[in-house]
Amino acid sequence: MAALGDILHLLLTANLWQATLAAAVLLLLPALGGIISERSGVVNIAMEGMMLTGAFFGVVADLAWHNPWAATGVAMLAGALMATIHAVVSIRFRADQIVSGIAINIFATGITVFLVSRIYGLQDVGHVGQDSLLPYLDVPVLDQIPFFGKVLFQQNVIVYLALIVLVVTQVVLFRTRLGLRVRAVGEHPQAADTAGINVYAIRCGAVITSGLLSGLSGAFLAIGISNTFVPNMTDGRGYIALAAMIFGKWTPLGAFIACIIFGLGQAIYDNNSTIHVSPYLLSMLPYVLTLIVLAGLVGRSTPPAADGLPYTPGGE
Amino acid sequence: MSTRPPTRPRRPVPPAIRRLTSGLGMPLGSVLLAFIAGGAIVAATGGNPFAAYSALLCGGFGFICTQGENPALQISNTILFVIPLITTGVAVALPFRAGLFNIGAEGQLLAGSIACTAIGIKFSSLPSPILLPMVLIGGMVAGALWAGVAGVLKATVGAHEVVTTIMMNYVAQWFLRYLIIGGPLQLAAGTSKSQPIGAGARLATVLPNDNALIIFGLPSSVFRVHTGLLIALAAAAGFAFLLWRTSLGYEIRTVGQSQKAARYAGVSVRRTIIVTMLIAGAFSGLAGAVEIAGVDHNLTDKYFSDTTGFDAIAVALLGLGSAVGIVLAAVLFGALHAGGSVMQADANISGNLVYVLQALILFSIAANFVGAIRQQIPGLRKPPSSLPAELPPAAPMMTEAAAPPSEG
Repeated sequence: MAALGDILHLLLTANLWQATLAAAVLLLLPALGGIISERSGVVNIAMEGMMLTGAFFGVVADLAWHNPWAATGVAMLAGALMATIHAVVSIRFRADQIVSGIAINIFATGITVFLVSRIYGLQDVGHVGQDSLLPYLDVPVLDQIPFFGKVLFQQNVIVYLALIVLVVTQVVLFRTRLGLRVRAVGEHPQAADTAGINVYAIRCGAVITSGLLSGLSGAFLAIGISNTFVPNMTDGRGYIALAAMIFGKWTPLGAFIACIIFGLGQAIYDNNSTIHVSPYLLSMLPYVLTLIVLAGLVGRSTPPAADGLPYTPGGE
Repeated sequence: MSTRPPTRPRRPVPPAIRRLTSGLGMPLGSVLLAFIAGGAIVAATGGNPFAAYSALLCGGFGFICTQGENPALQISNTILFVIPLITTGVAVALPFRAGLFNIGAEGQLLAGSIACTAIGIKFSSLPSPILLPMVLIGGMVAGALWAGVAGVLKATVGAHEVVTTIMMNYVAQWFLRYLIIGGPLQLAAGTSKSQPIGAGARLATVLPNDNALIIFGLPSSVFRVHTGLLIALAAAAGFAFLLWRTSLGYEIRTVGQSQKAARYAGVSVRRTIIVTMLIAGAFSGLAGAVEIAGVDHNLTDKYFSDTTGFDAIAVALLGLGSAVGIVLAAVLFGALHAGGSVMQADANISGNLVYVLQALILFSIAANFVGAIRQQIPGLRKPPSSLPAELPPAAPMMTEAAAPPSEG
């Protein structure tokens, strides 16, 4: 029973939950992007590739300009550029959105490493200096609250930003006219079109937003948590974000809870000096949990009705 | 009176040739477009696309080698890549026919190689006629079970197979890491590989594994093409037979065309979905087992970054879901992957360009850029069709995931 005691002890440390929130935010941003995209009816399994591209160009820009804010902007634009490819191919050319998503992910893996060798030669990309990283920010006064101060208010700026994005997404999607339009386009594009909503514009906007958010997450990974780019550094996080989206039943708050659960697994993985469970088995957890949710054991997870269907005006 | 000689009636193009050229137009055009775009990327980043592609051709097929590469060895290396691509390509193409998208070939392949290795170690003393079938069938069963999870979830609760197979891919990857890093299959502390499988579990190489024997100017042991090639070709043939010559194949195609029609025809949609996924998983698992039995003989960290199961999606799409097409597409992608390292060495262009090309080919097929271009050229204009006739109907996407297929 020593193992159980160790786990309980670990769960009571503020350090663990601080790391959990940071890991959760890394997943939350692309998950929110996925929700926005799929709510508008475009299946998006390309968050992985958009994140990876964002991470790469964020590092390139930061190494060149030593300005993490400009670099983050570049990372978001890079993610958005990949999203634009997905949007054009799957909305304009009505391609299979899953094939397009796979192609984006393969493209991102290939082009980033290809560009590393073209720009930096075969050696290392190099490391971003400490003062060029996205800063950690302690919120005055609030960070003195025992336990919660450390967990909630001694974090990277991106963590605060992501929590704001979470609230904004939840409100916009369910409390505003724009959100209603996005959901209408995802549930019944013909009806939305009849009501005068531009289906293509809404869908393009939603997909590009997912690219911006995934790129932001990539920047957080590369020049916030880490300080360099390594090939395939996202390591499946875009797919865990996809899992979080489904786990959270396509709602921002639900996805956030899923990200906390998955982030906790990651944090335990990183702090696994006391618990004698293979970190690799722990890494399986998000995927296994999502399969259990999909199996309907924890209530049905139903995607938007028109998710994945290219829209043809006048189609049935 | 006109003195013009009567014009000779033009011989009509035989229908077989017409079918062939119109069938080949889309995939060949897509590959061509991808290579043009890839060349532009190389040129834009200061590289020489012609040097890159000629090195790729050398590495893939042994043509026009400038740095003294042995053409026979290059072809042998390409075939090593082609073998698993054919079998996993079939594993993606078969569910396509039933309207299912199997992104999980990679996880199923890993499950197959894990089972093959575990059996090959556990029963390493058994003679080959018993052990070899055991490891291959064990790999097939493991792959089938891995894919069966997705099939059962699709058939019973309507969980979308794309999502479930993605999850199963990652479960397999992490399980593999657990097994050979600190887990029960680890060779020794500090290593990330398993013990080798017994000699009886190994597939023979085509050329004798003999350092003294010189063939094509090299010791014959460097040519590692193994008899798994025959297994892969048999898998492709078996796929075609199953699809076009059996009642199960008919049911699979009917379900892919219309689940409603299939139900009216008395086909059990649920059973067909599950059986299709089981068979597809068996093909992927076989590919993984053949890789262990024929090439590696043990699990290594090489399998952490294996992408065969994802490359298989491109193989199945480019091959238009036909057995011959899959073999041809597998040869193309096998040559690309084998050529990547030569391109890196000879032309100083990162081998990762191959992935860029692969993605561009996928974009081009999925968006049917070739068809869009054809529409712009008056002489080639054809009635618009969003997908080539050969392709199965677009897989029913997330919508159908909401409700499990009913058995009306």
